[in-house]
Amino acid sequence: MQPIFARGVSVQFRLTLAVLLSVALLFANKKLEPVRESLASLLSPVQYLATAPGELFDWGAENLASLSMLKKQNQELLRQQLMMSERLQRFEHLRQENERLRALLGSPLHMDARKMVAEVIEVASDPFHQYVVINHGSNNGVFVGQPVVDAQGVVGQVVEVNALTSRVLLISDPKQGIPVRITRNDVRVIANGNGELDQLDLRYVAKSTDIKVGDLLVTSGLGNRFPEGYPVARVININRDDGQNYLKVTAQPMAALDRIRYLLLIWPEQQASEKAAVTEDATKVNDKQEEPKS
Amino acid sequence: MTMDHAHGRLIVWFSLLVGLLFELMPVPDIVLPFRPDWLLLILIYWSMALPHRYNILTAFVMGTLLDVLLGAHLGIRSLAYSLAIYLIVLNFQRLRTYSFLQQTVLVGIVLCIYHLIVFWLQFLLEHATFSAELLWPTVSSMILWRWVFWVLRRIRRRYKVR
Repeated sequence: MQPIFARGVSVQFRLTLAVLLSVALLFANKKLEPVRESLASLLSPVQYLATAPGELFDWGAENLASLSMLKKQNQELLRQQLMMSERLQRFEHLRQENERLRALLGSPLHMDARKMVAEVIEVASDPFHQYVVINHGSNNGVFVGQPVVDAQGVVGQVVEVNALTSRVLLISDPKQGIPVRITRNDVRVIANGNGELDQLDLRYVAKSTDIKVGDLLVTSGLGNRFPEGYPVARVININRDDGQNYLKVTAQPMAALDRIRYLLLIWPEQQASEKAAVTEDATKVNDKQEEPKS
Repeated sequence: MTMDHAHGRLIVWFSLLVGLLFELMPVPDIVLPFRPDWLLLILIYWSMALPHRYNILTAFVMGTLLDVLLGAHLGIRSLAYSLAIYLIVLNFQRLRTYSFLQQTVLVGIVLCIYHLIVFWLQFLLEHATFSAELLWPTVSSMILWRWVFWVLRRIRRRYKVR
């Protein structure tokens, strides 16, 4: 029989080495961020490869769609398009009105932010974290802290960027908190993830707060991370427990986090806000100039 | 000596890559909690069949790669994999002579230990809550072990991996 471990070092030595290295990695996690980034960029082909079977199925399903199904889908889309264009007309009118009103008030105008559609290529395979990996990275200008939304509402923010892919932390992750306000009365609260994909917790809500089941929560724009006005969640349960200091409020995210596929990356334009600030200053100057006259 | 030359190294690494892909492959939400530990099963097989070539340090490398790909805290799976494979390497002779049922039970225990180490480290580093769901992959992996073993043994004999 072949002598086992004839060469090399003993198992115990190998174990000690592995354990020491692992512990070093555990402690140096923060400092190793650049190493990890380059390694992740290097390994991104593996991520693309892992999604290949799913994409093959999708491709097959798309190519094998029947004529009647396509017709039905087409009809449905046409109907939707008609409804959307009607809404868009009204929206355009409202936008103009809003801009006029804002101009009257002398407050900064809302600029259209740059957007980009991204596709989810991997979903959290780790029960302790809730994130998705998308198919755009620093090559496309994605940056850490970038807000990500889908058709229904806010999905999360970018926490890790590689050359070709990036990782989005979902709003349902326990580490994620997002400043929101209630659309009905502008009360500000913070929505925290609690690890369940279909739930957010609103913490530290005073018992006297005017909050009702069904209230829509939108981003408040505070914290300078998420731009203002995107829908986040709807309140589904309020628990008034006399033994607790605060209300226990649960909300359901607007975005269907368990079935996200296409996402929108948003660039809340720095330049736009700077421009707005300049115009604001300009109006202030105008006011000052006007003041002596009047 | 011809015995000393590794043979079919590429095949082993290829099988480990396939395991890594299976770990990352998107699956429907219903199946997700049951995702077997493909990579660990494949590592267990190779460290049982060829413990002098593929052992703790191989496990360490694969664990680190998985940590990077999963975006987890670095070092969690490298440590858990190393310890799990250490248990296998210590008992590889026993494992080889065991019946399939005994082998499956022992592999199951090692997998359980692996999951508990991962949970324990997550708990220490970031807050994690324990739920029985964490151990479901152990069950699916135990069911798959026999099949993984069979496939890898055929590959090893066919390509004379040493």
